Amino acid sequence: MLIDAFVELLNLWVLVAALAGIVSGIIIGAIPGLGPTMAIALLIPVTFSMEPIPAIVLLLGVYQGAIFGGSISAVLLNVPGTPSSAATAIDGFAMARRGEGGRALRLALYASVFGNIFSCLVLMALAEPLARFALDFGPAEMAMLMLFALLVIVLFGGGSKLDALIMVLVGACAGVVGLDPISGTPRYTFDSFAFENGFQLIPVLIGLFAMSEVLLQAFDSEPLVGDAEVPPLKSSVVRFAELWQMRVTLLLSSTIGTFVGILPGIGSTVPAFMSYNLARSRATDADQFGKGAPEGVAAPEAANNAVTGGALVPTLALGIPGDAVTAVILGAFMLHGLAPGPFLFRDHGLEVYAIFEALLLSSIPTVILGLLFFRIAIHVTRIQPRHLLPAIAILAIFGAFSVNNILFDVWVMLGAGVLGFLFRRSNFPLPPLLIGLILGAPFEQSLRQALLTSGGGYDIFVESPITIGLVALIFLSLAISLTLDLRKARA
Amino acid sequence: MNRAGRGGGLARPGFRTLTAGLLLTAALWAVFALNSQIQVFGFGDAGPDARSFPRLVLWLLAGAVALRLILSLRIEDAPLGDMSRLGRVLAVTASTALALWAMRQFGFFAGAAGAGFVVAIVLGERRPLLLGLPLIVAAIVAYGGRHGLSIPLP
Repeated sequence: MLIDAFVELLNLWVLVAALAGIVSGIIIGAIPGLGPTMAIALLIPVTFSMEPIPAIVLLLGVYQGAIFGGSISAVLLNVPGTPSSAATAIDGFAMARRGEGGRALRLALYASVFGNIFSCLVLMALAEPLARFALDFGPAEMAMLMLFALLVIVLFGGGSKLDALIMVLVGACAGVVGLDPISGTPRYTFDSFAFENGFQLIPVLIGLFAMSEVLLQAFDSEPLVGDAEVPPLKSSVVRFAELWQMRVTLLLSSTIGTFVGILPGIGSTVPAFMSYNLARSRATDADQFGKGAPEGVAAPEAANNAVTGGALVPTLALGIPGDAVTAVILGAFMLHGLAPGPFLFRDHGLEVYAIFEALLLSSIPTVILGLLFFRIAIHVTRIQPRHLLPAIAILAIFGAFSVNNILFDVWVMLGAGVLGFLFRRSNFPLPPLLIGLILGAPFEQSLRQALLTSGGGYDIFVESPITIGLVALIFLSLAISLTLDLRKARA
Repeated sequence: MNRAGRGGGLARPGFRTLTAGLLLTAALWAVFALNSQIQVFGFGDAGPDARSFPRLVLWLLAGAVALRLILSLRIEDAPLGDMSRLGRVLAVTASTALALWAMRQFGFFAGAAGAGFVVAIVLGERRPLLLGLPLIVAAIVAYGGRHGLSIPLP
């Protein structure tokens, strides 16, 4: 299988897609305010006419490139291009101020690649066995699994639990619109055929992440980057021996990134700060952290890149997205006929392994292009998002239309944009909404199928060892969350 | 937001109060309209019907949002800011809506370019080159979409 998948990669278009994705990702990530989620959502329509493998490789390349690109503005300007680069900025900017910006960026690049390779290997090792295990899941097991995923997002996603719960419920309510999954009855369709298909994922994503950004910038037109001077970049090298000394930090950070990434809804910012704090607590010169410690750059970068592979494990094996970016990637998989879930590996194993190998091998061009581009990307950090927002608005209209070639989807995109603007201004988190939208309908379907099977009896949810295990996990999560809250309240 | 402020909620409404208020209204309307919007034909099946899940999530949403509104009374809200800022948001939304409405008559290029141009103006762009950028992007997207990706744009 691995060799056959590798043969699939021997295609010029895959290479072109990987290179184009990584370069555009580095550039987009380097512009403060533009993140990988928006970039991928806007690029999905561009991939419509492409084969599935180059299409997904392009989007994953954007993701990889954007995470590294985010560290460029974090290190040089102290303005994180992506939220997960905020931890990198602490020591990266301090290094840049003392003339070691080039060294900090090289460290960030090598740590990013290490994290990516580590998480890719974990993804290749875990995703298929997990999917094979999930083949035994019936409706009751799937319902409990999705309930557990939704609960994890609410309890451990960071921020206010009540806000996360509200957003999950908003997503689930949006998922209700359309035809009932069991009886086919129209629900909240206002007697319109257009509503019967429900809200399509891609227009909603484009609205929430791209159109809402346009509206946010219209509301708050202050420049994200001032006229601060970029510290000079001196020639520098990072030797292998230096990286070898950091091997434990890189390994621990990548492990944290990968396994936190597997949990739904947590994203890459939390593991980046967890790894930073762990690296500081383990360091013999902990007082150097915050003043330009190289490990303070390497740890968060390894962690936030490792999240990619980790978050793809439940996304591909179970159809449960790990964070907002993987929810967008899940949408891209579905559009290309590769429906994530237990059957993905059985029906499209070759394509999926080719994509895994491409993700692993794209570390090579990431290093080469990263080293080539970070001097150019310094100028990119100066671009104000407002110069690009008219183009983003046009691409958002085009992207939403091109999903089904109907204007209704563009209206949905605009509505999602306005709601996204209100939610983001009100500090309501968007990832729980997205995951609620994706999981709401299949959760209801599994729940009702299970209850139809049992004749309406709820004991079906505690009959099999898998459901009992999942119910136990649900109660354990609640107990852990409650304990953490009580500790926090006492402190 | 900080808890040391003078409080928000209904006394000094901001974005959170506005958004939560809209959500609560929408959830309550959806509960009220549940029976008219979802027809159920009973065939004697045991278990939940097409209305059960929407009813459950809508009531949960209404309850959670109401709790958020109550708790927000003690928390300073994100201010709405001066009306000109909201006006810019409304201008972008209205111009995009107008572009969509006009797209059937005038085509994708005119609609998208118009919306992009308004966005550029609203964001404070005054340089001719950058004001012309939406026209160029719209032309490239329209041409590429039709001929490269074979998308039947309006």
